[in-house]
Order: sequence, then C-alpha cells, then structure tokens
Amino acid sequence: MYSSLVRVQNTFGFFTTVVCVVAALIAATDFLAPRTPSVGVIKPTNVQVVKGRPHYYSPKKEEYAIIKFSLDADLSSLFTWNTKQLFVYVTAEWPSAPGQNATNQAVIWDSIITSPSADHLANLGPIAKKKLIRSAQGKSIDPSRGKLSIRNQRPKYQITHPSGKMAEIEDVVLRVHYNVQPWVGVLTWNQDTDFFKWKAIKKNVSKRFSLPAIKKREEGGARKIDASH
Amino acid sequence: MADQLLDQLRDVVEGKIDFEGQKLAERIVNFALSLVGAIAFLAGWLLQDIKLAVYLGLVGTAAVFLIVVPPWPFFNKNPINWLPVAVVAPPVNLVIDEKMLK
Repeated sequence: MYSSLVRVQNTFGFFTTVVCVVAALIAATDFLAPRTPSVGVIKPTNVQVVKGRPHYYSPKKEEYAIIKFSLDADLSSLFTWNTKQLFVYVTAEWPSAPGQNATNQAVIWDSIITSPSADHLANLGPIAKKKLIRSAQGKSIDPSRGKLSIRNQRPKYQITHPSGKMAEIEDVVLRVHYNVQPWVGVLTWNQDTDFFKWKAIKKNVSKRFSLPAIKKREEGGARKIDASH
Repeated sequence: MADQLLDQLRDVVEGKIDFEGQKLAERIVNFALSLVGAIAFLAGWLLQDIKLAVYLGLVGTAAVFLIVVPPWPFFNKNPINWLPVAVVAPPVNLVIDEKMLK
C-alpha cells in the first residue's frame, strides 16, 4: 500500500471479492422467497388444421394446427428483487403413434414479462417501452405483471409434425411453462416438484382435446400460411 | 526550478505514504468495503430493489477509493527518521575475516 497505484490495485481487488460475496447472497435470497405459481384456466378456444408450406417456394405441403387458447394464471409470486424477467410459454403435447418418437411437444405461444428493474432491456419500440417504464414508475418490483388473463389468444407459432400430418390427432393437451431468469443466481427451468419454499405450478395442463379435420378451402380463397418466420 | 516542480508532481502522483499509513489504509479498505457490501445487500433486500443495491455498492466503493488512494496527510503522520549521513571514522580494532583493520 506504499504508493497510489498499489492502493488502487488492492482496493479494486478487494472490491471484486465483495461483489462476488454480495452476488452470492443475493442469489441465496431466492430460496427464502416462496413461489406459488398457479394456473386458473388453460383451454383451447378455437382449433383449426390447414394446409401450408414451410416456406414460400417449398414444394412440400404440410398440415399446420392453429390453436387459439385462453389462459388465466397467477405468477405474481415469481417476481422478487432478483427477478430480471419471466419467460412464459404454452406448449401443445400429444402422444405419438406406437413405435415412433416418444413425445410430441411444440411451443404455440410465448411471452417475456420483464421486471421493472429490466424494463430498459425489453425488446419494444420506443413508445411502448416508455409506456412500460411509466407503468411501474416508483416501483422496484411489480408482482401484478405476473397476473395473466388472456382470452382467445392467437398462437404465435403454427405447429406441424415431421410427418406433415396434423389433422385428427387425439389426446392433445396444452401445458403452461415458465422460466424465472434472475439477475444473479440459478435459472429456474421446468420445476415440476416442490422444492422447499418453491411450489410446483398447479393445474397447468388443459383437458384433452382433438384436432379437427383439415379446413376446406373457403370461398374467395383460403389464407395461406408461411411458417418460415 | 522546473526540476523541482517535476519532482513535486512525481511525488504527488506516486503518493508514497509511511508504514503506519499503509497499515491504516489496508484496514480502511477491508473494513469500509465490507461495510459497503453489507449495507448494499441489506438495503436492497429490505426494500426489494436491486438497482438500489448496485448503486449503493458502486457509490460506496467510489468513496472508499477517494479516501484511500490519494496520499492524504493522515497517512503520513509517522515519517521514518533516517539517520543523518555522517562521516564516521572506522572503529579501531574492527575484525573482518580475522584480519585486523588498520
């Protein structure tokens, strides 16, 4: 510590140690915060199967399922001071034919819910972002953002299968998933059993339903699907 | 004149402090930075505000740098008093390598 340069180096060195310890403590506080996510409603509201192409010039025609759904969920307990953002997604799942791959699962919709501390990182236009930041002004956390109530939502992704066949599949369910992405600490992924104060998500699977037959071409031309994006 | 100024500038930039000052600086760094970390963590946790924790930590660390890095006078309160350079006559009967020094 005899010269200024050595004092700068020593102080910075100890600062990095303090940062590591504080970050570890912050990550540890996650385990003290109870998590009780629950789903009120997850159900398909309108299911269609249509013919489409994987991209514009593809000679191959495939069947695509378009599953509109309603979702009520209370994920507010997942928002603590260490939550950066919550990734919520809905998958459709159905059993495969005997002798085939064991699981069929495809994401039909997803959403990123930022915490107020991460609003500046949200992938939004300037006006929507300003509105988002203003919605949580003066709040360091905003658990009300975890309360979802979505009615008759169009899916973000139309889903298909390697076989190209989607029509008249039976025993399809919708399942709600979430990931908690913290500022520091562990990424929580597919927690399906209770873990101390973290309870597994409740009632996150819909009733079984069947996909309909392919929709007939309507008068005036059916809408074409381009699933390449 | 210019040499004198440059010497002064070099002393300020180098910022040497005495041994007692070095001990004090080390203690200040360890204690103050630990305190800043504890305050930042507790305040952030109690108020559930991670940005507050980050800002408290950074501002506190900057303050510690300001206290410790410049050679403040209180780090130089115990300067070492070197013996004066003196022409000393060699002592008589000094034995080196079993030879008597004349």
